[in-house]
Amino acid sequence: MIDVELAAFLQEGIAIQLGTRNERLEPNGVRVVSVAVDPDGRHIVAYVPDAAVAQVLPDLQSNGQAALVFARPPDERACQLKGTFTNARPATAAERAGVEAQWDRWLDRLASIGVARATLEPWITWPCTAIRLRVTAIFDQTPGPNAGAPLA
Amino acid sequence: MTRLESLASCFQGLIPATLFTCSREGVPNAAYISHVEFVDSGRVALSFQFFNKSKANICENPHALVRLIDPDTSQGWRLRLRYVRSETAGPVFDRMALRIEAIASYSGLKGIFKLRAADIYEVLSVEMIEDEGPRAASQWNERTRPPASVFTLHAMQELSERIHRADTLEALLDSMLEGLEASCGFTHSMILMPAAEEGVLVTIASRGYPENGAGAEVRIGEGIVGVVAEARKPIRISGLIRQMLYAYAVHKQASEQGLCPHAHRIALPGLAAPDSQLGVPLINRGELIGVLCVESEQPYRFHEEDKTAIELLGGYIAIAIHSMLQRERSEPVADVAPAPALPTPAPVRAPGPTARAAKGPAREVAYYAADECILVDGEYLIRSLPAKIFWKLLNARQAEGRVEFTNRELRLDKSLNLPEWKDNLESRLLLLRRRLEQKCPDLRIVPKARGRFTLQFGSDVVLVQKP
Repeated sequence: MIDVELAAFLQEGIAIQLGTRNERLEPNGVRVVSVAVDPDGRHIVAYVPDAAVAQVLPDLQSNGQAALVFARPPDERACQLKGTFTNARPATAAERAGVEAQWDRWLDRLASIGVARATLEPWITWPCTAIRLRVTAIFDQTPGPNAGAPLA
Repeated sequence: MTRLESLASCFQGLIPATLFTCSREGVPNAAYISHVEFVDSGRVALSFQFFNKSKANICENPHALVRLIDPDTSQGWRLRLRYVRSETAGPVFDRMALRIEAIASYSGLKGIFKLRAADIYEVLSVEMIEDEGPRAASQWNERTRPPASVFTLHAMQELSERIHRADTLEALLDSMLEGLEASCGFTHSMILMPAAEEGVLVTIASRGYPENGAGAEVRIGEGIVGVVAEARKPIRISGLIRQMLYAYAVHKQASEQGLCPHAHRIALPGLAAPDSQLGVPLINRGELIGVLCVESEQPYRFHEEDKTAIELLGGYIAIAIHSMLQRERSEPVADVAPAPALPTPAPVRAPGPTARAAKGPAREVAYYAADECILVDGEYLIRSLPAKIFWKLLNARQAEGRVEFTNRELRLDKSLNLPEWKDNLESRLLLLRRRLEQKCPDLRIVPKARGRFTLQFGSDVVLVQKP
């Protein structure tokens, strides 16, 4: 489902947010520090700061519905993955370097569009909860008339 | 609940916001949005440009969540929203549409990248995002402190004094731009006024750019200046680079689908990469006198509280320009300071073979009648009414040996076809003077007294009339 090119895009250090909803169909959302695509291309792990994970974890555990949006300045390429919750666990110390390196690349990219690294540097990036999702659909979300077209 | 007004910095659009929605079937959706508009203490508006999944969801489930970042403090905020209605007219729609149109005009996307509606949302709660913000008080420093307002009462007073001191149109315009730098810190600015050709604005004064830019034209509706002139409302854009990149992404997709039959990008006036721009219409009694454009390479230079001051300043400058033009028509002449002598060694002489021999190579001034355009030594100088005026002066100088002229005789000259009322002659002459300074500084038009000027040429000229 997620091919090699798309996996590289998702993991290169771009803007990522995770959306869920509760039983009253009210949406919730958090920032994702980094993602890791499973080799099978059908699962993805989203690393969410522990300080924020309570915003979405109860929704995921109760109804499992999730949306991950990715956007890359400066070309504004964007896509959205729909998925269902598989499990959540504390991210391990061995994962930390990879998670923070991806976030660091995102800060560099932000600087390229005029948002100083220092703006987001104080944000909490660790410890994280690793949320694993099974990908059910992928949509193009690059601004313009194609936005919303299915990619897979 | 935190007051929505206190999040003014978040609504500048400097850092993208995220919109979360959910379908009737319970499928969540997340999307980045370029701008969240503050409406009042209980409402915000989001732009509806394309019919996407977010819009579809909102139509069937009014609950939404927006995450915002304050660019000054790095603090993230969460707004829980409920969709109320879509507006396709009114002040909120107009404000949002104008901003989008200005960005679209840069990208050749007019008519494609446009606002369909301003979607109004009730704000149910404002929550601080605890993991997105300064971790400790020690990290609050100069960088994170919000910059102060620039259009202070003191700055306005200083600008006002400059207006009162100016005794010519040229002095007024230059002093205004100088004052915007001295009192407000804006190093790059320009003033455009309507050209003789309908639907065109022409740069008449500028500050901070390598060239004086006089004569640069903008069509009504194009770029921030043209859109300001068309809408007659001020525009402030922060995070311009990012928003233009967003527009280019749309442009790329639309072009690939053949949706941009007239796709073209006009060159940005002024700074190559401005991050903030401010366009102010100069309106006097409903008449567009001009447009003031201020740019900054710094993001987020303009503040919510500056809005009233900016509009006030625009009106004040418009009245000042208008009255200066009126005064020039009606008052008796007054002496003005003589212009400094030309650095060229040759004295100013009447035209003739002797003078030409003493001054070295003559300049060729060609007038293209069909285009009403003048080229000097093969390079474009000016067109339209200022070109006709210059050609008239050059011919009078050659035929009669005259170098002194009055505005009054130009007004009475039927061949120039100046409008009987509001001819803007002074601004046309100023434009001509500035173009000469820029392109051939040895040919000068020097004011001698109000309504009177002289030609001072450091080179001889050869006149060539073309069809």
